[in-house]
Amino acid sequence: MAKVTLTVNGEARTASVSPETTLLRLLREEFGLTGSKLGCDVGDCGACTVMVDGKSVNSCLMLAVQADGRDVVTIEGLATMERLHPLQQLFEDKGSLQCGFCGPGIIISAKALLDENPDPTEEEIRDALAGNLCRCTGYSKMIEAVRAVARAGRDERTAGSVA
Amino acid sequence: MKAFEVVVARNSRHAVALLAERVPTAKVKVIAGGTDLMADLKFAPSSHAPDVVVDISRADDLRHISMTDAGLSIGALVTHTEIMRSPVIRDLFPALLDAAHTIGAVQTRNLGTLGGNLVTAVPSVDSGPTLVALDARVTLLSPAGQRAMPLADFFVGPRKTALKPDELLVDILIPRENLGKPACFLKFGLRKGQALALVNVAASFWVDWDRNVFVAPRIALGAVAPKVIHASSAQAYLEGRAIEPAAMAEAGRLAVGDAKPINDFRASAEYRRDLIAVLSRRALEGAYALAQSKRSGKVAGGLQASRRGER
Repeated sequence: MAKVTLTVNGEARTASVSPETTLLRLLREEFGLTGSKLGCDVGDCGACTVMVDGKSVNSCLMLAVQADGRDVVTIEGLATMERLHPLQQLFEDKGSLQCGFCGPGIIISAKALLDENPDPTEEEIRDALAGNLCRCTGYSKMIEAVRAVARAGRDERTAGSVA
Repeated sequence: MKAFEVVVARNSRHAVALLAERVPTAKVKVIAGGTDLMADLKFAPSSHAPDVVVDISRADDLRHISMTDAGLSIGALVTHTEIMRSPVIRDLFPALLDAAHTIGAVQTRNLGTLGGNLVTAVPSVDSGPTLVALDARVTLLSPAGQRAMPLADFFVGPRKTALKPDELLVDILIPRENLGKPACFLKFGLRKGQALALVNVAASFWVDWDRNVFVAPRIALGAVAPKVIHASSAQAYLEGRAIEPAAMAEAGRLAVGDAKPINDFRASAEYRRDLIAVLSRRALEGAYALAQSKRSGKVAGGLQASRRGER
């Protein structure tokens, strides 16, 4: 067994796992964070997307031991009890999801994009979401939601600079 | 997935020491970004599954992109995302940045490494053609020391390389004489995102501006032979020839004869042959456009930069 210590959504966590355990299984089965989904399990669908040290990755392709000492953010780390993350709120407002299975991965991919590039072009949004497959709704409303969040951020920054 | 032991290498020397220790008695695999290996392991029959996995993802001495006396040295652990963001690569070889951008998606580019992409050695390897066209060399480290060889020879066949079980690919070098050599990479896949290449091509050459002729022309083709190949007859045809559209088109036609494309579920051999001719010509045109813009002093940035520029 291998001991893994990492930060998950701001909290220090430790687990003892067999060495071949993926980060996804660690999150879901040891820590009970089932927001990240097991889809294709080979890095094609993006349903398992989480952020590791600020970068989006397929957690099904990363060994848990490779995440030792790293900072992981999952979909569970975005909302507070009082307030959804702006991406979650806009995905809801725009009806961007249908069954929702791909949602956690898509929203994490969008967050990773906006963290680095708060004002992306549509092309950049499409590129950022290309590793996340949705099989029911399609992508237009997701892209609209990400654009809306970016727009809101821009307005906020503009207001801030005026004030 | 079959259970295996994971040993973590602190650096490249430690990694080869671990390989030397474990390879004689166990099936050993090396993991870096894991984007190919993990997907393979989940489907591998247990007879092929490793007993030991050496994790080199923390071997930070393999993360450099640095200029040396020998040329531009890129560490095997540099990710595709890091290549896309490297100012040095953007300046010298925008084709490498374009090639990195066509690999997988953001998540796999954040994890996947240049070394891993080359070691996996699928015929459609998107990192391959540009580096082969730039005469890149790879350095392999073992406890016995290190050896270097052209990347074109490192590739042996589908998923086969010259790497011995106790060796580690540590470095990719673009030789000094090719620094800034204009190059263009083009990939044709069935989609824009997450698609494997039906054909990928890189072209590179110097221009003798006084005579307006091709100097040291290279065309490298992927996905149309068991490994990335030079389009040798096209290269020989172009050497010293006047740079004009007809010559580029003829080189494209000759490149078709240098390849041995197969029929598979992605495309027919016939379709791939057509693609080789068209993409080779366009890659030559792209490299020439880059050469002209470099000469006129414009900042070269490849497709990526022009996309950004559209904002």
